[in-house]
Amino acid sequence: MLRGAFARLRVRRGRGLLAAAGIVAAAAMLGAAVTVSYGLATGFERTAERADLPDLIARFDEERPRRVSERVRGLPNVEAAALRLEIRNVPLTGNGRYSDKGVAEVVREGRRGYAIVDGRDLRPSADEVVVERGLATEWDLSVGDRIDVSGLEGVRVVGIAVSPDNVAYPLAAGARIYLSNEGLLARYGSESLGFGEPPVNSLLLWTRDPARLPETLTQARAVSYGITDLRFVTRDGVQILIDQAAGIVVALLIAFSLVALTSAVLMLAASARADVERRLQTIGVMRAVGFSRQGVAGRHAAEAVLVALPAATVGLALGALVAAGPSARLLGALNQLGPGIELLPLLLLCLAGIVAIVCVATAWPAWRAAGMAPAEALRGAELRAGSGRPGRRGGGAARRLPTPRGAFGLGVRIVAARRVRLIATVAVLAVATAVVLLMLALAALLEQLAEDPGTLGKRYALTADPETASASEIRALPGVAGVARRYEVEASDSFRLGENLRIIAFPGDHTRYEAPPLAEGRRVRGDREVEIGLGLAQALGLGPGGTLAAQLSSGREARFRVVGVVRALEKDGRVAYARPRRVLAADPSLEPTLAIRLDPGVDPAGVQRRIAALGGSEGGGGARATAGASTSNRSFLSLLAGLLRAVAVINGLVCLYALVQSLTLTAVERRGTVALLRACGAGRGHVALLLAGAAASVVVLAAPLGVALERFVLSPAVAGLAADYATLPLGADGAAIAFVGLGVVALAAGATALVARRAGRESIVSGLREG
Amino acid sequence: MTVVSARGLIKTFGRGRAARRVLDGAGLDVAAGEVVAVIGRSGSGKSTLLHLLGALDRPEAGSVSVAGQRLEGASERALTEFRRHHVGFVFQFFHLVAELSGEENVLLPARLLGGEEGAARRGRELITRLGLDTVAGSLPHTLSGGEQQRFAIARALVNDPEIVLADEPTGNLDSESAQVVLDILRGVAAEDGRAVVLVTHDREAARIADRVLVLRDGRLEDERARSPRLAAGAGA
Repeated sequence: MLRGAFARLRVRRGRGLLAAAGIVAAAAMLGAAVTVSYGLATGFERTAERADLPDLIARFDEERPRRVSERVRGLPNVEAAALRLEIRNVPLTGNGRYSDKGVAEVVREGRRGYAIVDGRDLRPSADEVVVERGLATEWDLSVGDRIDVSGLEGVRVVGIAVSPDNVAYPLAAGARIYLSNEGLLARYGSESLGFGEPPVNSLLLWTRDPARLPETLTQARAVSYGITDLRFVTRDGVQILIDQAAGIVVALLIAFSLVALTSAVLMLAASARADVERRLQTIGVMRAVGFSRQGVAGRHAAEAVLVALPAATVGLALGALVAAGPSARLLGALNQLGPGIELLPLLLLCLAGIVAIVCVATAWPAWRAAGMAPAEALRGAELRAGSGRPGRRGGGAARRLPTPRGAFGLGVRIVAARRVRLIATVAVLAVATAVVLLMLALAALLEQLAEDPGTLGKRYALTADPETASASEIRALPGVAGVARRYEVEASDSFRLGENLRIIAFPGDHTRYEAPPLAEGRRVRGDREVEIGLGLAQALGLGPGGTLAAQLSSGREARFRVVGVVRALEKDGRVAYARPRRVLAADPSLEPTLAIRLDPGVDPAGVQRRIAALGGSEGGGGARATAGASTSNRSFLSLLAGLLRAVAVINGLVCLYALVQSLTLTAVERRGTVALLRACGAGRGHVALLLAGAAASVVVLAAPLGVALERFVLSPAVAGLAADYATLPLGADGAAIAFVGLGVVALAAGATALVARRAGRESIVSGLREG
Repeated sequence: MTVVSARGLIKTFGRGRAARRVLDGAGLDVAAGEVVAVIGRSGSGKSTLLHLLGALDRPEAGSVSVAGQRLEGASERALTEFRRHHVGFVFQFFHLVAELSGEENVLLPARLLGGEEGAARRGRELITRLGLDTVAGSLPHTLSGGEQQRFAIARALVNDPEIVLADEPTGNLDSESAQVVLDILRGVAAEDGRAVVLVTHDREAARIADRVLVLRDGRLEDERARSPRLAAGAGA
């Protein structure tokens, strides 16, 4: 069977190559999508395992290690613990680079919580340092290089480490390095770090049963009396924070994979079907001379495997290689490790899937064709069911479609006659167009966020001092959608004064101005209620139904009933959203700022100038833009935007592939018609016009459908995915729609030219024979 | 008046040992209003000869002149123009576009190629003349073989060509329909003054011809001559 398949492929080399090219393209798209999305989706867990990330990290004011160790010994469910001293703003110099934002982690004997990705771990020596991978990459440091760490000069880099409990430098402001406590003690003695005994300010805790972490956390809080500014971060909490940015990207990439796969399946199935239709007479002969139905389908399946297996292998490898670079850079920024060899089984699974799909798509129409009476197949009857059959007189009046006024109109009619294929091609193109639009919209949004990250969590673009202008005056300005008084105050938990929190209060519905996602419970409805951040909920062991007692700097207390837990990024989630009445009752001196929401598309600078004019000052001094991105955030967001744009370009190839495949099928199926037209005096231009008509009928339907799909389905869905995070002003603008629209038209023109060139060169005689 | 003149046509298919010369110096002349039948065994090169006369293919050697226009050495564009204005084809398998009605198929060459003026009138006249009025709006798959071939003949005539090339036009028809089609082709020559070259392996079909040429060993031989005008014009 395989020998026969080889022989047939040799004879029909051109068609085999065309099918293989399609499979390579589809597999490459799938390979790229799988590589990036799998890497991102599993990056945290993989790195956390490798780094032996603790289940709980506690940070607190400097304490004597013995005191902390005593408290830890009293905790249940503890497998291991490690103490560290974290020193911030340490001056670092290396390779001609300098930073005063170094974070020196002075580690002790025991488990580390980081993975060494190059070199080795620390030994008890003051002359050794392990640096985080982000710093090594940014400063081009290698194992064996020397850096200056504050007063320690020429410390040798012995290892490069990754720990996923934070994003990498320079995305994180501080560059982390690890020093040995024992080494420092040996060189400088215990006095060098300011105490008789070197202090610690962070604790890494590994539990025996991670499922019982909440109980351990409660116990830890209970035994933490006397330890100040205590903050807990759990492994899950870290993952939530790290994954929020990548989550949208992963979702988009998965959507992209599905689009690629769907288009590949539809196109390959259509191609296989057309091929079988062309070979109906051969199938009839095979059946007539005694081949079984299974035998016919099996031979087609074998041929499909011979084409699909190498093509899909090449495509997947190509896609994986192309995507590996951007994926690794993104994972590096998130302080995560790439999947490496772990990806191989998944790619093999994809390979098996693609081959199976191609195989079924080819064998199924062959199976159906082989089920026909051999005589019918020999006559070359059409495979499709339900269309008019010869001899059905009277019922065959031409459908009242517009009469073709030229080759272009004929192309439209020809494509419209194959409704199922038209629908499939339009669907593929529309979805691909919608995804491209969505990616461009998201990339634009990310760049917008690079300028104004407040947009992600905060719905107001400007803040102003009420002394500059009144709320009603500002509200009356053009472009201003709303103004609200915003109160912000630092407070402590009344029961544990070491626990700091920030209370943010808006009169009425705060979600109109700040809408961190609701993780649990509901939104605030009254003065007595509060939503608290996940970080605060973890620190205080609070949930809906509990009581938050906050002591303000005035010394007075404000009590609230917790009704919801929100995923707020601000202040590590140690925030509380409330109404102002109780806050003001506890601290009447509190002054609000005015949070100003703008209408979509309004330039904040213009409104700033108008507000300044109200207050009698020039320039934008009257109002401030909501917090801008740091340089490191900006580069990360640009990285994400670049990745999305790259995926959009690859997705554009899906469009091209769908169009070329569709037109090729039309040209191949209608060889007879094309040859007839050429026999009647049609030139290559007419053939091109005919194919242009076929392409136009697809594009004209798909482009608006794609725009509508993006506007009304995908954007709201993705915004909903991130709605847990903020209200995303997500949606392609006119320029993006025009760009993509023109792009689709250009792709259609390119596909038409490509296929027309091939069809125009074909011999008229052989077209008439085969058609 | 000679409409078609071919001399010394050579055409080979395949390469090396598999090469087969199907035309080996074939030639013929066809006058306006004359029907010439070319007969021969299957694979003798009848259709190939027709393709060369109609500029669907190029000979390796020899010359073809149709309506005073020489085809050898002509550019692809010139050959396209030639087919558009001077030749009408009728095929064994009709080659009607399945999505278009009979009438639309007839008008297709004219509409495609921008010669709509007069073509619509001419097309409708042809449809009436060939007795297809009642089925003009029907799709091809609902028509009988004879009806489909009559629409194909009307399509071949709609651009008013000087020569009609018919390749086994009755090969797919029952005898009654075949006779109708042959009568039409005879009429096309006799009444319209067009030259008709009819390729067939059916001797009955060849009866309508003024002359019958036999294609044997790549050359044309005159079997009988009915036309006094070109009795001596056949053969290479």
